[in-house]
Amino acid sequence: MYGENAPHKTTKSLQSLAKRLQKENSSLFSFFLDGSRRVYKVDDIEYQKRIFPIVGGQIGVACCNRKAPDSFGKAIVERHFVLSMPSIATSGEQHPSQFLGRLTQNLNEIERIKRLGIKFSDIMTYKSDKSDGGREEYMDRGTAIIQDKMIDCEKKVVDDLVRKSLLTQDNYLIKDGSLQYQRSGGDFKEMAKYKSNYRRVIGVSKSFNPEFSKDKKNRSNASAIANLPLYHRTPASVFQEGRVGNVFFSVWYVRIREAKYSDSPFAGVLKIEKVLVTQEEEENGLDSGEVDMITANVINERDPVCYGKDQRWANHLYPIFLTENYIKSQFLSDLHFINLF
Amino acid sequence: MTQQIGKVVATERAPSTVDEFYFWTQKNLIIKPFDVVKVQHIKSSTTYGVVEEISHITDSASSLAGYISSDFGDVEAITNTDRIGMNYVKAKVIGNTGSIYTPVLDGKSVSLANEEDIKDALGLSEVKNPLPCGYIEMYDENTITIPVHFNSHFLIGPEGAHLNISGISGLASKTSYAMFLMKAIQDKYMKVKDEPDDSVAFVVLNVKGRDLLGLDESNEDLNNYDKAIYTEKLNIEPTPFSNVKYFYPYAKKPEAVTYGRDFDGQRHLNKAFQYKYTFEQDKEKIDMLFTNIDDPNGTMESIVAHICSPSSEFFKKTTWNDFKDLLAEYKQKGETGKDKEISVLSWRKFSRHFNRVFEKSTIFHDNINEDKGEVRLEEAIKKINKNDVLVIDIAKLDEETQGFVFGDVVSAIYDLKLGQIDDRTEDEIPSKIVIFIDELNKYASKDVPKNSPVLRRVLEVTERGRSLGIILFAAEQFKSDIHDRVKGNCSTHAYGRSNAIEVSKSDYQYVPPVYKSMMTRLKQGEYILQNPVFRSLLNIKFPKPIYRQFKNG
Repeated sequence: MYGENAPHKTTKSLQSLAKRLQKENSSLFSFFLDGSRRVYKVDDIEYQKRIFPIVGGQIGVACCNRKAPDSFGKAIVERHFVLSMPSIATSGEQHPSQFLGRLTQNLNEIERIKRLGIKFSDIMTYKSDKSDGGREEYMDRGTAIIQDKMIDCEKKVVDDLVRKSLLTQDNYLIKDGSLQYQRSGGDFKEMAKYKSNYRRVIGVSKSFNPEFSKDKKNRSNASAIANLPLYHRTPASVFQEGRVGNVFFSVWYVRIREAKYSDSPFAGVLKIEKVLVTQEEEENGLDSGEVDMITANVINERDPVCYGKDQRWANHLYPIFLTENYIKSQFLSDLHFINLF
Repeated sequence: MTQQIGKVVATERAPSTVDEFYFWTQKNLIIKPFDVVKVQHIKSSTTYGVVEEISHITDSASSLAGYISSDFGDVEAITNTDRIGMNYVKAKVIGNTGSIYTPVLDGKSVSLANEEDIKDALGLSEVKNPLPCGYIEMYDENTITIPVHFNSHFLIGPEGAHLNISGISGLASKTSYAMFLMKAIQDKYMKVKDEPDDSVAFVVLNVKGRDLLGLDESNEDLNNYDKAIYTEKLNIEPTPFSNVKYFYPYAKKPEAVTYGRDFDGQRHLNKAFQYKYTFEQDKEKIDMLFTNIDDPNGTMESIVAHICSPSSEFFKKTTWNDFKDLLAEYKQKGETGKDKEISVLSWRKFSRHFNRVFEKSTIFHDNINEDKGEVRLEEAIKKINKNDVLVIDIAKLDEETQGFVFGDVVSAIYDLKLGQIDDRTEDEIPSKIVIFIDELNKYASKDVPKNSPVLRRVLEVTERGRSLGIILFAAEQFKSDIHDRVKGNCSTHAYGRSNAIEVSKSDYQYVPPVYKSMMTRLKQGEYILQNPVFRSLLNIKFPKPIYRQFKNG
């Protein structure tokens, strides 16, 4: 099954559509979302003769709004300081969440923290099951919890935009990276909300594993992606990621920069994802016209470039680059954060 | 309400210092060099800065990124998003309300200033002995017009004196600016009549066409805007100069030696005169005819000394013609017996130069008929009264004679101020006499021979004139040409439109690069001023001349 209702057998050029749209000064995308997090091992703690890391993190999610080519600014920002500790730390507590809430409160009342104007949002726990992988695995578990928190923040930002009715058929949002969030205990209701919220959202990934892309005969599609001509897209395929839940995605690739200018065959190719929202979409895939429209608009985001500023310039979209820089500029320096502990 | 326009940025590469700071603004904010901004500083003080340089920067790492951003060189490529950019402004600190000179801090708010702030910042409020010298227009949006005043004690003494105006011909309006200042001075002194110890008079040399031959006539073309600037902003009467007298070179037909066309009319009103030089009384000045002649051994000087010596044969002569005849004898071969110290060759050189000037000049004449308005210039100058403006026309004279007349004027004023006049009391003589000369480079350039008698007199005025009350307002195209001791003694410098070669010279070393390039773009009626009272250079404007302008020179 394809991820679109009228797929081409081969790749499809969107150059003329992109050109036409550019001449009309029309752009589908008004919002750009990027999340970022930095994690630090701020301390170690011993339980049952096992050493667990306490992981500190800074989370930032920014959504920028482009009203006109020369008007680009912040729309929504979420910033959080969090800690992640082993679940064993709450083992004696009847209500672990209340305990962690109190702990967060106590932490925020420390004079030095107050003076610096810093407020921790959450102290979370990671599973303290025995592991074979040694201590690094605990660190990874702690990091994953912080990553999940960041994803929640991203979802919250999208939800905010939807509540304010800012995402419309003429004002889409590009989210940096994949939309295939790992299910974090969400129920059917939450899944339905996710789907409807992401109706006007596409995920654009700079890097991807081309081996995951398969053709109809389940063969790797990597060489077809690498050989995509300029401004061409692949047919969209449908994809269901088990870890995400009962959500289908339409996934396709587009080349926005010529391969001859790039240092790898996949540089200049973007992976685009969109959630299939309606039953009709889940059954027949996205409307091919919509796929074309989205792709042509992504192509039109190719300039300016962040050449010289980012190694991934060939795959970067400038508004995303700006959003990413903005959110990173909001972080405390690593030294500053580590010295809080 | 003050308009916030940006914030201070202090980085490792460009930190805030005691002298300067940097701030960002939106890229579409219109701001220009010389605009004043203010910054919140510690202890609730405010630091003022003057904009020096404005750059526009983006996040583009290189020009190549720009090329790539246009689809690898497609000039018609359009982008959905403009590259993120801002204007980055360098400002020079000019003061702090709490006299705190620690550098301004990163992230502090930068705002435009209001009229009071600007006056405070530039040192324009509470100027003692105010004398209007123009006005500044700050900010292109919501323009603020502020009159600017010198402290007259720093322009015409006693604290500082002499003005140097430089700028290229025509575009800089050097003469107009000098006249604007002189009109302001005359106006100020005519309003204050009861200060016997402080008075002024002017001696102006007209070196070009009819430029200054209508100083007491109104400029009919003066528009209402400029009139309003004179009256409302600068408090100067929009009337031409008063007490003007014109001195034209003598010739039977005045038009032969002057571009002025109204000698008879002015003569009728008893304000025009013709000046002459008689051998008997002016022979000591002959050396000034040789201003630009290299005389390393001082032979010309010796000859003039000999001529003026009472024991010399020349001393008995009473007319220029007799002098010439005797001179002819001295240069004859074999006549060395007449003077053993000066060789015949030197006499010949002297004679050659003297005759060259004498033959083409009509001002060397021995009979003076006062009824016809003929005067000796020295005598006329020595009779100068308070608030008088004496215009001496030398425009149509040859270069040597121009130097001769200028040197004579300076000498006469010097003698007058040194009290070497018997028939005038101290009270009658103006306490300050302002001399204006254009094309100073002819008399005091670096190339003028060091022993030039006119240069010597100019140096005397600039170095010792302040204490005597002799003030030189001089103008030239290129300041870098002028003798260092002359310009070094000027307390005020006005820079009009100049050219790129000139501003690259060492005289402009201390001028920030952006101001230098502004100097090459200044409009007519715009100057950059440097005066000890002001905390920084000022970009001022002044209204069109108030006296008659002759359209065809």
